[in-house]
Amino acid sequence: MNVLIIEDEKALAQELEIFLTNYNYICDVCFDGESASEKIAVNLYDFILIDLGLPDYDGLDLLREAKKLDSDAACIILTARTEINDRIKGLDLGADDYLPKPFSLLELQSRMQAIIRRKFGVKNNIVELDGFLIDLTNRTISYYNDVVSTITKKEFDLIAYLILHKNRTLTRMQLSEHIWGNVVNNDYDSNYIDAHIKNIRKKLNAFAPPEWLETVRGLGYKIKINA
Amino acid sequence: MRLRTKLTLFNAISKLVIVVLFVLLVPVLIRNISSNYVDSKLIKQKNKLLQIVKSRGIETYIENGEGYGSYLPLKEEYISLEDVDPDYFSDTIKRGKRSFSEGDTLEYRILSHTFKVKNKNYLLEIGKSVDTLDETSVPLQNIAFQVLLGMILLTILADQFYSNYVLKPLRLIIKTKLVGQKFPNFNSYRKVRTTTTDFEYLDISIHKMVETIADKFQKEREFISNASHELMTPISILQSKIENMFEEEDINDELKVRLIEMQKILNRLKSITKTLLLISQIENEQFLKEDKVSVTDVLQDVYDEISIRLQEKDISYEMDVPQNWQFININKFLLFNLFFNLINNAIKYNNEGGYIKITATAGHNNFIISITDNGIGIPAEALPFIFNRFKKFRQSLQQDSFGLGLPIVKSIAAFHDIEVEVISEKDKGSTFKLIFPATLVMVT
Repeated sequence: MNVLIIEDEKALAQELEIFLTNYNYICDVCFDGESASEKIAVNLYDFILIDLGLPDYDGLDLLREAKKLDSDAACIILTARTEINDRIKGLDLGADDYLPKPFSLLELQSRMQAIIRRKFGVKNNIVELDGFLIDLTNRTISYYNDVVSTITKKEFDLIAYLILHKNRTLTRMQLSEHIWGNVVNNDYDSNYIDAHIKNIRKKLNAFAPPEWLETVRGLGYKIKINA
Repeated sequence: MRLRTKLTLFNAISKLVIVVLFVLLVPVLIRNISSNYVDSKLIKQKNKLLQIVKSRGIETYIENGEGYGSYLPLKEEYISLEDVDPDYFSDTIKRGKRSFSEGDTLEYRILSHTFKVKNKNYLLEIGKSVDTLDETSVPLQNIAFQVLLGMILLTILADQFYSNYVLKPLRLIIKTKLVGQKFPNFNSYRKVRTTTTDFEYLDISIHKMVETIADKFQKEREFISNASHELMTPISILQSKIENMFEEEDINDELKVRLIEMQKILNRLKSITKTLLLISQIENEQFLKEDKVSVTDVLQDVYDEISIRLQEKDISYEMDVPQNWQFININKFLLFNLFFNLINNAIKYNNEGGYIKITATAGHNNFIISITDNGIGIPAEALPFIFNRFKKFRQSLQQDSFGLGLPIVKSIAAFHDIEVEVISEKDKGSTFKLIFPATLVMVT
């Protein structure tokens, strides 16, 4: 997958590139609108990540250009400007998603994955883990023929996020940012993740011990999937 | 009491006091005036009589040593002349009683005067009845009282009218510039027309102060908005760097733990910045109020987010809100956060095994939703400050927070014109009452 990163903050652009390269994306990086505009005109991308606050260009104009020249590219707006109108305008202009800064790189990856699933119409998105079947499209967990019906929405979100970032240790902060991201919270403690994991384990244990859901001591949690 | 009422009242009372004093003084005054008048008349009569005696001789009155006496038919006046002992001397005007042969005794103002004619001493007495004098004073008093009362009423009316007129600019200043002004959204400045320089000065001063406050307020808002926006990018960079470093293969677990510490701190910074930004966005009215959602749905959403916290502290949660209540003209995201923060606080400042109750009552033209807990409560001295930013009173708790939960609540409530009332007692618990105007809730 080809990704164009348009971000004038070089340090951030660099981190985006490192992260996405690790996930096997092929990245192009632009620090200004001018060169981005050229790249869009010349190359075909699967993803274009646009920072709205560019020094020489209105990010929304860039979005317009991209949509005109390369209508298959999925555009994700990254911005520190959080004006509600920007979001509406961006989505109106055909942006596929909108991620306000500061965001977690994992969150970006999960949004990109969601777009890929949507674009390619992935229907069968089922992961098998020691007899547990986790259906990411229909959001259900079953053990052989039994559906684990007690799993709540939040708990499923956690499992799905860990599966998406399989074999990678996710910290409690990263997990709570994902599941409580839209709550403007007065406190910054993420201990409730432990409670959620405890509940998940208890519910799954009724069928079989979910050994694939690992606690990484002092760091966080991980779901191990052998390729 | 209003200034105009005070002025009118003072005017009326002071005038009334003066009039009453005057009316009470009237008898004394009249007596004085009339006795002066009578005295001068008596002296004139005396002089006239002495003149006659001088020109025509004492014989005109006294012929053969008998005294002379004369009075009017009703005895209002009398005059007497007789010879007296040569050593007797008198020259006075005073009150006295005189008896007449008919048996009448009347009170007179009497002039006594001795004079000598041909080696004989004579005493002249001229008297004027005082009854006639006293009688006039009562009707006079009445008339004076009535006339003055009438005049007072007239002046009070005039005062009232004038003070009304002259104080009108002040009233206008109070009505248009002070009463019902919602800080910091003042109405635009309109000069109050007045010829009184004091009011002109007051008007301009108030205007200048309001302008300064509004300006400072605007600057503060802009600053918070700009500062939090500017902080977003560096935070984003740091977050990405930490996340990437966490995945580096040559980083050992000890370093990873330290990276997590950094992530925690960064998260704190992020939460504060995001919250400040949200508050500034609310205050700058960057949210729409067009959503319509059932009250129980919002509360259920909050419950879904928060149930894990209730479970952790074994807190019972009771919700008694009518199914048919609907929020209208609100922002769903903001109301969610309003309830989230209040209920989250109710959990945070609760004891293990405590309870939280959410109740609803429909008032006369409002709807009240109350969130009650039996937690640690708020000490009375802290109550006035709980909505201030970065104020933390319940420090002893192990949970971290940065004192922005209630400021968010306050901003969201103010944005929607929701009134927040807090009743709290230390160690007993708190109740946060949200009073929604009728325009925000619809019963279906």
